[in-house]
Amino acid sequence: MSGFSTRQVTGVIGLVIGLALGLLYTWVIAPVELVNTHPALLRTDYRRGWVRLAALSYVADGDLERARARLDGLKQEDVAGVIQALIEEYAAAGRPADTLRSLTTLAKALDVHTPAMLVYLYAPTSSPRSPVRTPYPSPTSTPTPTLTSTPRASPSPTIPTPTPTHTSTPVSRDTSPLTTPTSEPTHTPPPPTPTPPLLARLQLAKQEQICEPGQVPRIEVLLKDERGAGLAGVDVWLLWPGGADRAVTGLKPQNGAGYADFNAEPGTSYVLGIGELGMPLVTDLQIEPCPLEDDEEPLMGSWRLVLEPRSPDHSESGLDRSAGRPERHRG
Amino acid sequence: MSKRARLLPKWVTRAAAGIAAGLTLGFAVGWWFWPVQYTNTAPDVLRQDYHDDYVAMVAAAYEVEQDLEQAREWLKLLDPEEPSTPVIELAERLVEAGGSAEDVTRLVRLAQALGANSPTLIPYVEDRP
Repeated sequence: MSGFSTRQVTGVIGLVIGLALGLLYTWVIAPVELVNTHPALLRTDYRRGWVRLAALSYVADGDLERARARLDGLKQEDVAGVIQALIEEYAAAGRPADTLRSLTTLAKALDVHTPAMLVYLYAPTSSPRSPVRTPYPSPTSTPTPTLTSTPRASPSPTIPTPTPTHTSTPVSRDTSPLTTPTSEPTHTPPPPTPTPPLLARLQLAKQEQICEPGQVPRIEVLLKDERGAGLAGVDVWLLWPGGADRAVTGLKPQNGAGYADFNAEPGTSYVLGIGELGMPLVTDLQIEPCPLEDDEEPLMGSWRLVLEPRSPDHSESGLDRSAGRPERHRG
Repeated sequence: MSKRARLLPKWVTRAAAGIAAGLTLGFAVGWWFWPVQYTNTAPDVLRQDYHDDYVAMVAAAYEVEQDLEQAREWLKLLDPEEPSTPVIELAERLVEAGGSAEDVTRLVRLAQALGANSPTLIPYVEDRP
């Protein structure tokens, strides 16, 4: 009995001593020192900062391989999220088109897509504009500051830093998010053809000019479903050369569930896009003066655009473009 | 005597086994159950090449955004006391190693904006456009 107890005690004492020594070693004598880490191990906010810095560095030096090497090993969602946010932030802030073009180039190379970048691919090329653009704060968008800095693009530098060399080449996707959905083949006779998603079937059903004295020119959008009910919670993008703005339908319920609006200014050609990918539905939309009547003062009109889905069996070529012809209403 | 001689090795053996088990448990606790978290690190523990890249990127971002306070905040993550020190150090090393003049120039501009300078870097300051 006493021998058994001695064995137990001996074992327990040894265990305790060993545990103490083990913890002493791992926590005190040789604690792990965090050195030589890499960006993927950074805290989330620092990691996002790293991506942002890499993107801005690309704007400065234009060195795509260097940017790729710096972003190598980071999660694609981190990279995509930060670059998307940066492009949208810069677009909303009216940053110079060259800067946004650089960011867009980087985004494309990294297989990152955001509607805000599409303005540089699809927006109408208008006459040269001042790089400093006054933003259009709408009630549903973030107020944006006026740009004062002018970045200087410089030749790509070569800094002798042993950046990671195993550069992974993201597969570049040529298909643009703005690509309109291909129409269903019409020659297949016995078809229960799948109905395209509602947003893909939206088309301009009505465009009317609103002339209300004292109102800032704006672009109102009204999205409806097949039954004529408003579509809430849909992203609506307004793109123009050098910028973009986004609104979500339904945030002004007094105007209807499918309603969203943007402030706009004359002399700018806008593209209206719908959905997360910003499918362009209306192009070359411009604020125009209202027709004058008698002694009225000149007035810039707003636009109200009603978008409705075409019926599923309505062929692509059968879009009723005449439905979108502008009408004029005086308030 | 012979009994004692047999008992002692057993005692030692058991103690050694206990210690070994305890050590194993200790290592398991220190390195397995509560392992050191390698995530959530800060830029100041980045490997030297990443560290240098970070500084170079801050200088490039400053060139684009002209936001000195933001650049200072980024650099404080490397050196909270003297944010300009990593900038000067990297610029000097680049000059010594024959690095890109563009990078050096950016770093010097940022260092200057932060109120720091170095004799080695004066030519780059003077050559500034």
